Amino acid sequence: MNPAEEIKQLFPGSVVSTGIQTNKPMATIKKEDLLIIAEKVKEMGFDNLSLITGIDYRDRFEIIYNFFSYAKKQNLVLKVVLDHDKPEIDSLESHWKVADWLERETYDLVGIKFRGHPNLKRILLPDGWVGHPLRKDYDMSVDQFVTLGEDGEDIVSTDGSNLLRR
Amino acid sequence: MKTEELLINMGPVHPSTHGVLRFKLTMDGEIIKKCEIVMGYLHRGTEKLGEMKTYLQFVPYTDRLDYISAFPNNYAYVKAVEELAGIEVPLRAEYIRVLTLELNRIVNHLVMIGSLLLDLGGSTMIMWGFRERENALQLFEMLCGARMTFNYIRPGGVREDLPEGFMPKLNEFIKDMEHRIDDYEELISGNEIFMMRMKNIGVLSAEDAISHGMTGPSLRGHGVNYDIRKIEPYSVYPDLDFRACVRNECDSFARYMVRIDEMRESLHILRQVVDAMPEGKPASQAKYGIAPLTGAPTAVSTYFPRIFTPPPGEVYSRIEAPKGELGFYVVSDGTIKPYRIKIRSPSFCNLTAIPKMVEGLMIPDLIAAFGTIDVVLGDVDR
Amino acid sequence: MLSLAMWTGDIMFPNAYELIVYILNFIGLYEPINNIFKTLGIEYVLRIIIVLVEIAVLVVFALLTIMFLTWMERKVVAMVQARYGPMVTGPRGLLQPVMDGVKLIGKEDIIPAKADRWVFTLAPFIVFIPALLIFIPLPFGESLIISDLNVGLLYIIAISAVSPIAILLAGWASNNKYSLMGAIRAVAQDMSYTIPLALSAIAIVLFTGSLSTVDIVSAQNGTWFGFIPKWFIFLQPLGFLLFLIASIAEMGRIPFDFQESEQELVAGFFTEYSGMKFAMFFLAEYAHLFSVSAIVVTLFLGGWSFPFLNLLPAGLVPLVSFGIFLVKTYVIIFFAMWLRDTVPRVRIDQLMNLGWKIMIPLALLNLLATGFLLTAGVF
Repeated sequence: MNPAEEIKQLFPGSVVSTGIQTNKPMATIKKEDLLIIAEKVKEMGFDNLSLITGIDYRDRFEIIYNFFSYAKKQNLVLKVVLDHDKPEIDSLESHWKVADWLERETYDLVGIKFRGHPNLKRILLPDGWVGHPLRKDYDMSVDQFVTLGEDGEDIVSTDGSNLLRR
Repeated sequence: MKTEELLINMGPVHPSTHGVLRFKLTMDGEIIKKCEIVMGYLHRGTEKLGEMKTYLQFVPYTDRLDYISAFPNNYAYVKAVEELAGIEVPLRAEYIRVLTLELNRIVNHLVMIGSLLLDLGGSTMIMWGFRERENALQLFEMLCGARMTFNYIRPGGVREDLPEGFMPKLNEFIKDMEHRIDDYEELISGNEIFMMRMKNIGVLSAEDAISHGMTGPSLRGHGVNYDIRKIEPYSVYPDLDFRACVRNECDSFARYMVRIDEMRESLHILRQVVDAMPEGKPASQAKYGIAPLTGAPTAVSTYFPRIFTPPPGEVYSRIEAPKGELGFYVVSDGTIKPYRIKIRSPSFCNLTAIPKMVEGLMIPDLIAAFGTIDVVLGDVDR
Repeated sequence: MLSLAMWTGDIMFPNAYELIVYILNFIGLYEPINNIFKTLGIEYVLRIIIVLVEIAVLVVFALLTIMFLTWMERKVVAMVQARYGPMVTGPRGLLQPVMDGVKLIGKEDIIPAKADRWVFTLAPFIVFIPALLIFIPLPFGESLIISDLNVGLLYIIAISAVSPIAILLAGWASNNKYSLMGAIRAVAQDMSYTIPLALSAIAIVLFTGSLSTVDIVSAQNGTWFGFIPKWFIFLQPLGFLLFLIASIAEMGRIPFDFQESEQELVAGFFTEYSGMKFAMFFLAEYAHLFSVSAIVVTLFLGGWSFPFLNLLPAGLVPLVSFGIFLVKTYVIIFFAMWLRDTVPRVRIDQLMNLGWKIMIPLALLNLLATGFLLTAGVF
């Protein structure tokens, strides 16, 4: 049976809609119920969290989880819609360890916050970077300069005038 | 006995971090207590760049992700776009693609084994590996003029047909490679010191490995029989005879052996591809979306149009790249540019397993385990 | 006039000094020169001059050897790895070491800001000088020895124990964690491998009853059954193996190159060194390679001796024996280089396990068995 439909049967109140995302069953769910559904999804044998994608649609954020089950050889896509003003969602780090970094990356580049993440800080960009680049309203006209501090940590500044002092 | 902890900063400039990765190691003497990975030194904002290019223009950027094996990157992206836009690809183009993919798999594993041995202190294997890699790179050069960043596979097919004299050279390469792999095994696999360094090092149970998102050869070293070419067949792989190489030991040695087996398997696939290579066009000529905008049609315009508009929608498409599951999540809003591109890079996800893998081991073991994970920093940082 | 008797007579000299005096005598120069100094009342000056000439020849020989070894290493590595190696500078790249030297002299001599400047500067010399001092009691050929110390073997082991101190100084003074770890590893390794090294050397001393290197070589002169050379390798096969492994560890080469282990510790104890100071470590390493190989040859492979050497005219023996010694030494050196290209590095704890749990018990066992058999009169 289609795992998206299965989830809809189990949580009729939480699933907004089901569908197909190019040959993968997809379920759009309410953000409050992500953790409960995720637990069920894990129980259903979806042991591989393949990808977390955050997309900025200007009026809303969508966050998409791609699951795969090694045992059943099935795909499942979970989609959650978030408010544009307050993009926050529960962390799946406790269920899939890979979510640790995938969520950090999503936080870093898209700016979606994950509640309950043990170490939610930037991963690809240095700490102190201004803005989240993959947001559509990211200001690309501001130059940001990264230098290496005394202890090896990165220092970000928008002022590049003192970089050529030597 | 209570001892003072030592904080060692390994990288970003260090001989065996394969680029610019930084390990923050909390050490107790020689034992690693905690390993924290810092990255992003090679972050080029590829995903952001993708939003500003047309679908075709983004293909060269994918080359720069995993520069050791660029064909799979090309292909993974192009496959996503083709699924999104519903582009049909001629059979010959698919065969040429599989040919490049498998050739590139061999190249990738040669580099991986070479640099693994180099990290362990054996300098010979990388030279031997590069000797054979050179032959393969010359084949790539014949194919598309580039040796590492190809920009060869594009929506609708491949850029050019196989050049004259390519097949004989390929056959020569395949024949040469067969006994070269035996040579490598003689040099490395049975070596007592190599076994001491690899066996029971970097052990991670299959469950942990899956939970940490490990994929590809690294995961198949943990006894998980999983190969996207098998379970979600794409291209012409269903027509080809091959097996997923699996080892059950869950340690560094198993992950290394999977690579050796895969090289043999790739040669096997290559032989079939050479035999089955069909005649025909190397690229689709279908009309789709907006035709070329300005200027007189050039010779290239007989190929699939350069500018096209897939219908609004989103697709997640993944392939079995040499390093693991390489996926592209492409969102179209119906314009000539993708709305969002998300890259699921195998190196990034495989790397999450390292801190857990090396806890309680030593720096030399960290290097051995890290070498078998096979990470390219261009792929991690994107 | 060259008389035949001089060429065939059985003449041996205790050291190179006597040989030089003999040669000067032979061409009739010693007496006139000696008389000049005698009339001035400073006879000792002539002695000093001769010794200085010996030292100069030795240093030049050592430096040339080191240069050749760096070239040879590259060529051997290249051969194994199916490439050419240096080919451009000079015939087949033979002048490459000279170019390296020129380059290293031209490099900026960097001392890290937080390094201990004095110790940092001193360490390369403390490494390099003992590496040259080891050459003194080495019998390069019949009569070709700077000084036949009656504690030659002890001297060699003692002098080679100096280099860990220098390495520790270098590692500590660099004020770098990698350097320090490299130094600690190097010292631990040197200490644990000197023991099996010394133990298997003592088994040889049981045979010779003397620590003098000349005595050890002359004990290996001659043959059994007319064709098997009386080398200690045949009496001490286990001792030879232990000594060889331990000496490769002493040289600090792959598979035991923990002092550097570049993929783990960047460059180990000389991470922070550059220019000529780096070159000193580099040269000392190759000096070590040669001297340790020479010691293996002296102890186990008969030194300069070879069956039927005594059939040659006596005047030629020093020269021919020197050639034989070099050939044997280069065989061992080639083996070490070959090994480096074939095997990966072991891990530090595996190295210590091998040293303490396998090699030292085996060396003790070897010593016990040797002593037992000697007392029983089997040999």
